[in-house]
Parts: sequence; C-alpha cells; structure tokens
Amino acid sequence: MSKKQWFFVILVVLTGAVIVFAPLPVRAAPPTQRTFRVEAGQFAYAPAVLEVNPGDTVTIELVSTDVVHGLYLDGYGVSVTADPGQTAHLTFTADRSGSFRFRCNVTCGALHPFMIGKLQVGPNLWLWRAIALTVLAGLAILILHPSLPKAQAS
Amino acid sequence: MRSELTGFPLVKTLLKNRWPQLLVWFVMLAGFLFAILSGFFGTPVGNRNFGIVFVWIAWWAVLILVAVPFFGRGWCAICPIPLPGEWLQRGAIMDPPGKKPRWFNLRWPNRLRNIWLQNLTFTLVALFSIIILTTPKVTAIVLAAMLFLAIGMSIVFERRTFCRYICPVGGFIGLYAQAAPMELRVKDKQVCLACKDKPCYNGSEAGYGCPWDVFPGGLTKNTYCGLCMECLRTCPYDNIAINTRPFSADLAKPSTRMDEAFKAFIMLGAAMIYAGVFLGPWGGLKLAAYSFGSLAWFGYTAAFLVFIFGLLPALFLGAVGIGKALTKATITLKKSFTAFATALVPLGLMFWVAFSLSFVLTNAAYILSSLSDPFGWGWNLFGTTAMPWQPYLTTLLLPLQTLALVVGLLWTARTAQKAGTEVNLSPIPVIVFSTAATIAMLGLLL
Amino acid sequence: MKRSELLSRILIVAGVLIVLAAPFAARTIGAQGVVEIHGRMAESGGWTPSTIRAQAGVPLHLRLTSDDVMHSFAIGQSDTPAVDVLPGQMTEVTLTFDKPGTYTYYCTRWCGPNHWRMRGTIEVTGDDFASPQPGTPPLYMMLNLDIDATHPASVTPIGFPDAQRGATFSTLLPVNYMSLDYYRSHSPAQVVQELRADPALASLSNSDLWDLVAYIWQTNTTPEGLAEGQRLYAQNCAACHGETGRGNGVFSADIHALAGKYPANFSDPATMLGAGPALLQGKILRGGMGTGMPSWGPIFTDQQTWDLVSYLYTFQFREMKK
Repeated sequence: MSKKQWFFVILVVLTGAVIVFAPLPVRAAPPTQRTFRVEAGQFAYAPAVLEVNPGDTVTIELVSTDVVHGLYLDGYGVSVTADPGQTAHLTFTADRSGSFRFRCNVTCGALHPFMIGKLQVGPNLWLWRAIALTVLAGLAILILHPSLPKAQAS
Repeated sequence: MRSELTGFPLVKTLLKNRWPQLLVWFVMLAGFLFAILSGFFGTPVGNRNFGIVFVWIAWWAVLILVAVPFFGRGWCAICPIPLPGEWLQRGAIMDPPGKKPRWFNLRWPNRLRNIWLQNLTFTLVALFSIIILTTPKVTAIVLAAMLFLAIGMSIVFERRTFCRYICPVGGFIGLYAQAAPMELRVKDKQVCLACKDKPCYNGSEAGYGCPWDVFPGGLTKNTYCGLCMECLRTCPYDNIAINTRPFSADLAKPSTRMDEAFKAFIMLGAAMIYAGVFLGPWGGLKLAAYSFGSLAWFGYTAAFLVFIFGLLPALFLGAVGIGKALTKATITLKKSFTAFATALVPLGLMFWVAFSLSFVLTNAAYILSSLSDPFGWGWNLFGTTAMPWQPYLTTLLLPLQTLALVVGLLWTARTAQKAGTEVNLSPIPVIVFSTAATIAMLGLLL
Repeated sequence: MKRSELLSRILIVAGVLIVLAAPFAARTIGAQGVVEIHGRMAESGGWTPSTIRAQAGVPLHLRLTSDDVMHSFAIGQSDTPAVDVLPGQMTEVTLTFDKPGTYTYYCTRWCGPNHWRMRGTIEVTGDDFASPQPGTPPLYMMLNLDIDATHPASVTPIGFPDAQRGATFSTLLPVNYMSLDYYRSHSPAQVVQELRADPALASLSNSDLWDLVAYIWQTNTTPEGLAEGQRLYAQNCAACHGETGRGNGVFSADIHALAGKYPANFSDPATMLGAGPALLQGKILRGGMGTGMPSWGPIFTDQQTWDLVSYLYTFQFREMKK
C-alpha cells in the first residue's frame, strides 16, 4: 500500500477510536425514583422493554402470572424470583448506561432460556457507536479501494 | 503465504495413521449416541439435559466460533454421523477395500448433484429450531434420523452421499469453509496429470476412493472436501498436502452457482431471524415460532420463508442490478447475482458468530451442570450439578459482537470488490446492502 | 481380517455398548430403596406416582424432580418443611411416619391455575391397629351452616372498624361476647346486631359497636396467629384472591372463564361481614362450590385454618397497633 493509503488507514482507525471511546454529551435528566410493574408469564415479560435514565433508582415489581419466574438483569447481576400471588420487588440504582437484557432465571418451561426483556438506561449509545463504526467501515473500504470499474466499451 | 502443515513429520504421521483418527471418532460417536440417549431417556427439561446442552450450546459454540472459521470443514473430519454407515458400506473399519463393493453402490443422480437438498434440510431445521432446541426428545429424533438416514444412504449409494448432499450442517460448513485459513490441496498438478489410476478417487490397497466424491487433483476450493484424509493415504506420490493460508483465499474467485448463492441467503436470513426470535424481547414472536400448527405459526412460517427466499434475494438482486446499470456491463444478471453472492459468505459467517456469542455465553453455565448430571437423574459426576446458572462475560459481549460484525462487513466489502473486479461490475450497491444488513443485525443484537 | 481391524471392531462395539449401557446400570443400582417422584403441572399429570406406600416407623427415601417448572413438596398437616422440586434436578428427602394413615403430599409453589390439584397420597401401614378416633365434625357442620349459600351482611359499617378504638369501649362489653366459641360461631353482622340489641351498650353509636366487633376479633387471635395467617394467605390464596384480597389475583381471569364468577372479594363488606369464622373455615376446608376453590382440609391443620380465617378479617378490620 502507498503512503497515502497508510495515512488513510490510520485516519480511519483514529476515527473509529473516536467513535468508540469519545464521551458523548448526554442530556442528564435528574435521577428519579421509578417503579415498573412487570408481569411475567410463559414466556415473556409485559412490558418487555423498560426505559430509565442513568442514575434513576429503579424498582421492578415482578408479578408472575402462571408459574414461578425470575428476573436476572445482565450487566448488573441482580435478580429476583416471584411466585404467582406474591409480587417480588427488585430495587437497584441504574448507574450503568446502555442496553441490558433481563432474563428469567428460574426454569419455567420449554422456552425458559428465551424469556427475555430489555432495560434501556439512557439512550442506547453503544448501538449508535456501532452503527457509526459500521458506516465508517463501509465508507473506508469504498474510499481505500475505489471499486467503480470503468464502463464497458460496447 | 501458504505453509504446509503436512510438511511437519509428526503432523503427517498423525493424519495418515488411521488410529488417531479412529480414537477421535470413537469419542465423538460415543458422545453422539450418548446425546441421543439422554434426549430420549433423560429429563425433558432442556437446559438440564446433556443432549440439548452439548449439541446446541457446546458443540454449536465450538463449530461456529472455532471449527468453521479456522479449520473450514474441520468438524466434518471428526463427525460421527457417517461412520456406522460407512463401516457397513465398506464392511470394515480399518481394512482396505475389497475387490467388489458390498452393497448397491449406486451413483448419486446427476440432477441432485448440488446443494439444493441441503438448502431444504437446513431451512427445515431452522424453521423448527425453537422446538428442536428446547425439547430433548425432538433433538434426539433429529439426531437419530440423521444417523439412520446416513446409514441407509451408505447402503444404497456409493461414498458419503448423506454428508455431501443431505446433511443440513454440511451445507453451510462447506460454504463458509471457503473463508477458512486451512486447505487440502495437491502439491503439483503435473503429478496428477501423469498419474494413471487416480487412486485418490478410485481407491487402492492403501485406502478408499474419496468418500466426498471429489477429485483431489481438481480441488480449488474447500467447499466439498471433508478432510477425511483418505487421499493422504492413497496417493502413491505423496502429492497431497494440508496447508495454512490467508483467510478468505477461496473467495477471491467468485462463485457461479445459484444453489450456493441461496445457501448464503438462507444463512444470512436465518441469523437475523434467530437474533430476533431467540434474543429479542418479543414473546409473541417466540410463541408463534413454537406453537406448531397454530395460525400464528403459519404466519411465522410464511414470514420466515418470504424473508429468506423472497425479500433478501430480491433486495440483493436490486443491488446487483443497480451495479450492473452503473457500469453498463454486458454480463447476465444471473452471473452477476451468483458472483456477488460470494461476498455474503463472510457476512453470514460473522452474523452467526455474533449471534452465537450471545447465545453461548448466556447459556454456557449449563455445560458444566449437565456434564455432572447428563440425564437429570440426580448424578453429580464432577461435582457441578448444582452450579447456579449465570451468564458469562456480559461486559465483553457487546464489544465482541460489534467487532465481529464490523470485521464481517469489511471482509464482505473487500470480497464484493474482488468479485466486482472479476465480473467488471460496480460492487457499491452490494456493499450498501451489506452495510444495511449489518446495521439491522446490530439493532437486533444490541 | 487384519489385527488392526479386529482391534478397531472390538473398540467400537464394546466401547459404544459400555457407554450406552452404563447409565442404565447406574440408574438401576441407584434406584434401590428409593422412590422417585416426578412432578408436572396438574394439566400434564401432576405427581407421578401419585400414591406411595410406606410403613410406619420405616424411613421412606424419596427422590423428587420436576419435568417442567418449579414445584415444591410438602406433607399436609405436618411441620416437615417444604422442599423445592427443581426442573431437571433431583432433591432427596427422607420421611418417617410414626402413625399409620393416609397422608397427603402437595405442591406449595404455584405452577398454574390447577396447582392446588397437584396432590398425592402416602398410605402408611403399620402395626398400630388402634382404630382411628372419630374426629369431631368441623364447626360449620355442628352449626348447620350452608357453606354454598350466599351470606349477605344485613348491616355494614360506614368506615373501617378499628380494634384499637373498640378497645376503649371494652369495659362496657359483657364477657360472654368475648369467648372463642361466640367469636367463631357468629358473623360480624350478627355480632353487631346482638350488640345493638344489648341494653348495656345502648350508649354506643353504630360505629362504636363495629369497633367493638373488630376488638372482639382481635382478642380472639394472636400476633403469631395473624402472621401465620398472612403467610398462608400469601402462599396459597393470593394467586386467585389477590394480594389485596379483592378477588383479582393473577388467576382470577382463569377462574372466571371456568366458573363464571371471580374469586371471593374479601374486601367487600357486604359479603365478608355476613360470613362468620365457622362459615369461612367450612369454605376453606371443603372448597368446591363450583368455583374451583380448593379443599384445604387435608393440607392445613386446625390451628392453621383458624389463623387463616383470622387473617381474612384484616381486609375488613384495622388491627390494634403493636
């Protein structure tokens, strides 16, 4: 590769690093107390997607509607189990931002490993960064190796 | 940048001698039969059953994260499914071929000498996967069916027709093997030209003719060589070598086959659907996929088939068509379609890697517990039965998935450019298609 | 056949046979002297086996597993603690029954709307041939109460009867109203009517009398009894009757689809205050009533049933502060 191409590659890598690591200004809403009533039934949570702001104190009231279910939150590692008729409470501070899946951690039937919900703490920054990185990759290849062949002579 | 692995005497001996291979086969066969047994007789609770856990979590992880990306058809080299049939077909485990074939030894019909049947079997497995993956008895039935089919086909047909033309797994392993950094090739084609008997294909006292129905001297791609090592044993000129090579070497020459192109779409589409169904928060979708025979299931099936066989190829065709229009090329649309479909090989592979990372890291804990109590009968062979479930490496997961998908896109874009150069077409629309698909997959996974 | 061929055949055949046979051999050996019970949701078969035989004084070794969801195993009217029965895992329990008889085992973790039907029996035989004592019939039978009839309260309070306030009038209350027998055999509406008719309490308002009714209830229970009642309610009743007693539990829609009615609303004074403890005990013991209400007779001890009845009135009366 020529010097120009090397320079370009380094530029792309640096841009990529900026995309991945640059702290983005997030509109910081003041942290509040939030409570969600989440119903758990074979094999889904309702609501399945919860949105909070970073720093919020989140309480999930887990209501099992058929059998014993659990709720384990990826990334935070906290969990709770609820029997039908006994609402369980899980309280934690949403100090980590991003998108976290929560899943059932009490075997509750055939589709148990796929009983999944999502907690969104703040905007899904990582997804935006990943998308930006993807677009950068596509553009980089196109610029690095110009690939529009010359039109065919008829 | 090729390096000959079989140049190392130890490697060559280990591969040529039949005993190391047999010992590995024995372990695989025992494990496979044990998995079927536990599926039929063990606990019906999927995540505590050896069959489910070791096939769909442990074996799948090794297959898609290690074996295929780094060793191509490496799994086929040790897969136990063809073995009982092949031993029956040959009438021997170690002995060389006899004068006449023992059974019907029919030739596989010409019309079926493609991977369309494998496209069908994989689509079926993918469609029913949520039922198969969660029900031990169904997994056992699928595995047993593959075994009996392989045995039956070995009795009726010559060579390994199950592996080459039917096996749902073999279809995509072959496709993605093109991307791997390992290959089996002849060292010098002139030697093959001068060779009269071609024992690598026809067999000899040293071993059997290629069970994969491949002429080693003509191998230019990894797609159909199953790494069984017979040709290493039969070639009288020591002209067969296993080499390491750069990734993606086979993708430099674009494909011309429609069956392989559709295999790429099936894999790409299935990875996206799996990401939504298995890893998404949409319970209704999962139930629709699971409740076989219901109205919702028919809707799911229709959407599944339309997405994989209709929408994705149609969008791709549009992208190819735009590329054709941009460069006013004279090549047929069909040729451009299959040529560019080659670029979907690395994309699909990395889609599956990204999906499987989540699937496996979340459920890997079950591997240890089911090892200690494979049937759910209360055993504790290694003391890990009561290990509580927890997902592993959750903080690393998103970066790893992103890395896999971005690398996949770079790789795909590069492959599309090479294909474009070969057929003199603009790859830009295909690169845009791949970028859009990657973004969609990111949205599903992250 | 070459020697390598022979060796390889032996390896494969013998090896595979051993690998396949070993689990079953181990299982047969391990099954000696143990009864293995599989639990499934009632809709899928409940307990298998559902009848077990044992001998009095001889330890009964049980191995329990669930084939679907989380269950648990407990013996009715016994203080042996419940054990969780985990899907795909085995739990071992050893029970020894001193007296012969029929014992009921049941699931204590809700596993669907038919969870309460998940029951089995252990028939314990023994040398103790003493004929079983004829038990005393439950109070509702002795009082000839019809537990299937409706029980509207003839009068209802305006506010929430408060036992603490009622305590302040307790000096005026004739002693016969405080006895356990009186409390158990009269509905709160009946009590308030009798209190109204009593000249000793003529100075008190209707609201005061209701507070006295609450006070009578309070004195006939203990904090431990109420705590036990609350525990029993949460574990056994809340799933249908609701955590706040309103008849809106997670299975109330299923019950309504099945029986055309919702589970009883304990917070409704019009019906609840017309039901006396004996009537409530009867409903709990016998169940039925075409509503899917379980029969708890084999499960709760006498004291547990009365504790639960006492707890049910907390949806109507305010307890005294501790």
